[in-house]
Amino acid sequence: MPESAWGWLIVVYLFLAGSGSGAFLAAVYCDLLAPDWSKSLAKAGSLIAGPLVAIGTVCLVLDLEAGLWEPWRQVYLAKNLSSMIAWGVIILSGFIPIALLYAAALNEITFIGKIAKKYIRILEYVGSLLAVATATYTGVLIAVVNGVPFWNTPMMPVLFLASAISTGLAAAMIVAAIIDIDTIKTLSNFALGHVIFLAVEALVLMLLVFMSLTRSTEAAISANMLISGVLSPYFWVLVVILGIVIPFILSIVEYYEYGEMPKTLVIGSDLLVLMGGMSLRALIIFSATPPQIV
Amino acid sequence: MPRYGIAIDTTKCIGCHSCRLACQNQNGLDFTETFNWIKDKERGKYPSFDKEYIPLQCNHCENAPCQRVCPTAATYTTPEGVVLVNKKTCVGCKYCMEACPYKMRIILHHQGIVVKCRFCIELVREGGTPACVTTCPTQVRIFGDLDDPNSEISRFIAESGAEPLRTDLGTLPKIYYKRS
Repeated sequence: MPESAWGWLIVVYLFLAGSGSGAFLAAVYCDLLAPDWSKSLAKAGSLIAGPLVAIGTVCLVLDLEAGLWEPWRQVYLAKNLSSMIAWGVIILSGFIPIALLYAAALNEITFIGKIAKKYIRILEYVGSLLAVATATYTGVLIAVVNGVPFWNTPMMPVLFLASAISTGLAAAMIVAAIIDIDTIKTLSNFALGHVIFLAVEALVLMLLVFMSLTRSTEAAISANMLISGVLSPYFWVLVVILGIVIPFILSIVEYYEYGEMPKTLVIGSDLLVLMGGMSLRALIIFSATPPQIV
Repeated sequence: MPRYGIAIDTTKCIGCHSCRLACQNQNGLDFTETFNWIKDKERGKYPSFDKEYIPLQCNHCENAPCQRVCPTAATYTTPEGVVLVNKKTCVGCKYCMEACPYKMRIILHHQGIVVKCRFCIELVREGGTPACVTTCPTQVRIFGDLDDPNSEISRFIAESGAEPLRTDLGTLPKIYYKRS
C-alpha cells in the first residue's frame, strides 16, 4: 500500500504560499498603519509576495501528473467545491494577480502601476483578505484529510497562518535589507512582530504535538516521530531551536537594542525563521501516519 | 439497483496472492502495480499463536473521502455504489491518495492518473463477478448485493457477524470481514 503521496514539491508550495501571503500582509500593514520610515519594508514585501506564491503554484502544478502533461485537464480543477484544492485554485487565481498589481501600484512600475495606484486601498483590503485565505487554506488543505489523523485537526490552519506571517515578515525584512541595507535600523521596530508571531506559532505547535499524543493512536505515532522518533533531531534542532527559540531571543534583543545589533545577526535571525518555517512544513508532511486498519 | 459489496473470510485465506495476480491480469497492471494487497498479522503469544492473512482492497465507501476531496470530480460513485475514477479528468494531484484512510489507491506514473479497485465493473454488469472473487482457490471472497437480504453475501454477513474495517472512521465501507 502506498504510504505517502505528497513530497518535497508540496512542502515547497506550502512554504512559498505561506511566506508570500505573509509578506503581502506585512507590506499592507506597513503601508497602511506604520509611518514613513517603514516604506522600504512595504516595498520589499509587496515585491516578493506575488512572485513567491506564483513560484509555489508552479511547484503545485509540477506535482500534478496527467494534469501536467495534458494541461487542458486543469480546467476541471474547480469542479468539485467540496475539495479544498478547488478552493485553493480559486483563491490563488485571485491572490496572485492582485499581489502582482499591488507590487506594481506601490512601486509605480510602468503605466499599469500608475493606474493601479488609484485603486491601491481596494487592492490592499481585497488582497489582505485573499492573503489570509491563502495562508489559512494551505493548513485546511491538509487538516481535512482524514487519511492522516495527525493532520486532521483545526489547529493546523492556525499554525500555518501564524507561521505564514512570521516567515512572510522575515522574507520581507531580508529583501528590504537587500534593497537598502541602512533600513536595518528601522526594521528593529518590526522585531516585535517576530516576537508575537513566533510565540503564537510555538504555542500552537506545542498544543498540536501534545494533544496529538492523546488524540488517536496514529496521531500519537506522528507526534512521537517528531518529539522522540526518527524525525526528532530535525524537529528539535531545525524547527524548535533554530527556527523558533533563537530568532525569538534575537528579536527581543533587536527590539530593545533598537538598531544596535550587528546586521548579520538581524539578517541571520530572519533566515533562521525562513528555514524553520520550511522545516516545519516538511516535518508535518513527512510525519504523516495513516490509520491502522487491521 | 443493487448495492454491491464483498464479504471476506480471513479464516480461509492462505495468503497465496492469486487475487492480486487475477486483478493485475484483469486490469492490465504491471507486476509492481496492484489494486489488492494481503497483509499478514501475527496473533496470540507463543506457543499458541497463528498468522492471519487479511486481503485488502478499495472499500467502495458510501461516504468516500476520496470522492469528497477530488477537485475535478474525477472520482464518482456509480448507481451500483461502485466508486470509480474517470481517467479523462483525473489530473494526478494525489489528494485522494492522502484522503483515503485505508490507503487503497495507487498512482500509475506512466499514465499520470490515480487508480484503484473497480469491482471489475465491466464483468459485473455482464452478470459476472470480480476477478479476485472468481480466482480465489479457497473462496475467501463473496461478491453480491448488500441490499438483497437473500443474497449469499447478506446471509454470510448476518450469520458470521462480519464487519467492515475501522467503522469508527465513518466512511461506511462495503467490504465486510469475518476475522475469527
